[in-house]
Amino acid sequence: MGYVAVEAGEDVIQRAEELFEKQRVDGESDQLSVEQVDDQFSRLTAQAMSEGGLYAPRLAAIAVKQAQGDTAEAAFLLRAYRSTLERWGSSRPVETAELFTTRRVSPAYKDVPGGQVLGATKDYTQRLLDFELTDDDGTDPTEEWDAEPEDPPQLRNVMEVLRDQGLVHNPETGSDEDQPGTPFDATREPITYPAPRAAVLQELARGETGAVTALGYSELRGYGQVHPTLGEVRTGDLPVRIEHPYTGDEVEVTRASVTETECVVPIYEKADDPQFSFGYGLVFGRNERKAIGMSILDAAIQLDGDAPAQDAEFVLDIVDGIDSFGFIEHLKLPHYVTFQSILDRIRSIRERTAAASSGDDAPVQEVSADD
Amino acid sequence: MTDGRSVVPDAESVDDLLDGVADDGLAGYNYAYLDEHTKREVRRATLKAIALPGHQVPFASREMPLARGWGTGGIQTSLSLLGPEDAFKVIDQGSDESVNAANIRRLASRTADVETTTDATDASVIQTRHRIPEEVLDDDQILVLQVPITDPLRRVDGSDDANRRRHAHKNYSKMWVALYENVVEYGEIKLSSRYPVLVDDRYLMDPSPIPRWDVPKLDDADNLCLFAAGREARIYAVPPHTEVEPLAFKDRQFQVERFPDQACANCGSEDTFLTEVETDDGDRRYACNDTSFCEKRRANPDLSKAHHRDGNDHAWGPATDPSVPDGPTENSEGGERE
Repeated sequence: MGYVAVEAGEDVIQRAEELFEKQRVDGESDQLSVEQVDDQFSRLTAQAMSEGGLYAPRLAAIAVKQAQGDTAEAAFLLRAYRSTLERWGSSRPVETAELFTTRRVSPAYKDVPGGQVLGATKDYTQRLLDFELTDDDGTDPTEEWDAEPEDPPQLRNVMEVLRDQGLVHNPETGSDEDQPGTPFDATREPITYPAPRAAVLQELARGETGAVTALGYSELRGYGQVHPTLGEVRTGDLPVRIEHPYTGDEVEVTRASVTETECVVPIYEKADDPQFSFGYGLVFGRNERKAIGMSILDAAIQLDGDAPAQDAEFVLDIVDGIDSFGFIEHLKLPHYVTFQSILDRIRSIRERTAAASSGDDAPVQEVSADD
Repeated sequence: MTDGRSVVPDAESVDDLLDGVADDGLAGYNYAYLDEHTKREVRRATLKAIALPGHQVPFASREMPLARGWGTGGIQTSLSLLGPEDAFKVIDQGSDESVNAANIRRLASRTADVETTTDATDASVIQTRHRIPEEVLDDDQILVLQVPITDPLRRVDGSDDANRRRHAHKNYSKMWVALYENVVEYGEIKLSSRYPVLVDDRYLMDPSPIPRWDVPKLDDADNLCLFAAGREARIYAVPPHTEVEPLAFKDRQFQVERFPDQACANCGSEDTFLTEVETDDGDRRYACNDTSFCEKRRANPDLSKAHHRDGNDHAWGPATDPSVPDGPTENSEGGERE
């Protein structure tokens, strides 16, 4: 036969995988080490952890390397691994005022308790391609500084200032019905609508960065009303504590790098007691764009209006990168059975149309299930 | 953690613990990949689905080492059912040799230590993407169909929330209107695969993107059909001997795909689902889509689709061989409107 379908057995799968591995270094350079990925591509590993829903920088570095830098694929590797792990317990809730803050800006106020902490950022520099990186000798530009490095401070949340004045709406989070006080867990329970806010926040936190950004942007672009003021955006390390299995004491086991943002939207739902609507974003690693997008979407979904990003079902159905990437790419699979079925329909309809336009009666369709 | 002391909440004994890490299949993973708790949960959803034919049962779909949309629901369902004594067949678009079928089969044989087969009559569990085998399935066989889109009503409304209410009230008027509009616009119903069916005169069901050719096989079948969607986290079922009626009108009957004057270029069959192939020299040829049955027919062109059953049993599917009496496929009025 002159036609070879996308068919074959395990040999072909094996060879395709080997070719992929061969391409890992497309040139003469050395392979990246996992340490290098971990140390130098923290934005990539952060995105993989955030979308994978697993905080594990070392595993994320392996995933990023294995996926050759494809964040969707890396997040997928982490998720697939995560789902095989036994669940030993839950961490204790932590107040984010405890965040060891390396960067915090508050767009809402000129100055805030604890001050604006710019931290490490390129936000305000010119985006000029830096040709010197082609020959980088790794010098540390802060070497000459005469300031002593300080431990990152723990700062009061800016939103507390507004909360103290009663200006911010405090939305219900929604607990697991069977276990009051436990947040809903979408990895263990399928979501049905209306979804509790805990489920919304969880799915947004695991959402694909580009999708969260795009849907959040849709609100700003005019397909919605949510143009928030950010109380603050901050990054740093959050202590993770569990209850000790034997002593019952609370112990810190690690710290997780996160980006957090809280926003308010001037939409006054209660005419008699006007308050700001509130939106929240928290993601693993340094990813301010996603955290802000998440806070917009949280606020938008609470509005429950007619704009696309205000429909919880629409947003949560499409925001997950593992779902969307899988289904988009499944179109590469063979579809010749369904296509044959479509060909049959279109030919049948064209025959009918042709017969009708030539003045004949439409051909009688006698084909039925029992033929 | 339930009491703050137990470190492995689900284990009931030390043996449970050891079984959990036993090296039956892929080292470091549980037998059949999924942990026992997950498998139990999938089986519970499956039982509920069997009890409510055609109703979509939500389950907490796990992340699998296959991309979502590539059979993750099917493989979770298969792995929750498989034991070492089973024979497992996987087909993708009618073929055992498709790369994705090979990949799924490899996962099952590596983790569940299960025997695999390409013979539909030998398999106890068959996972399939978009086809039902040509050979008639028996009451001791389970067909697991991979499902990309769970709700037939999504053709008329994108919101599953709204559609769940329609299912609750058996309110399928919007679907009927859409089909009627089809007839007005095109003269006939233009749905190709994923043809909506009414199950047990209660739930409207998406039979997965099987061709219309395979839809009649669901009606009053001897075997259990399970439909599983990993990405959409739903399982549904057609139990054996359940009435399944494709939606149609009295004057616009349900039609299967037609292959006028065509036979399989390989085995000569005229009673199987064919797919067309455009060749390098500009020809178009038709060949059996079910590759494993086609091979049998090449050896024995007169082989009945019910050859493995006791002669007096009915064959299924359209245009079946006349030597075998038809099954109870008399048109009922369940799914038709005047």
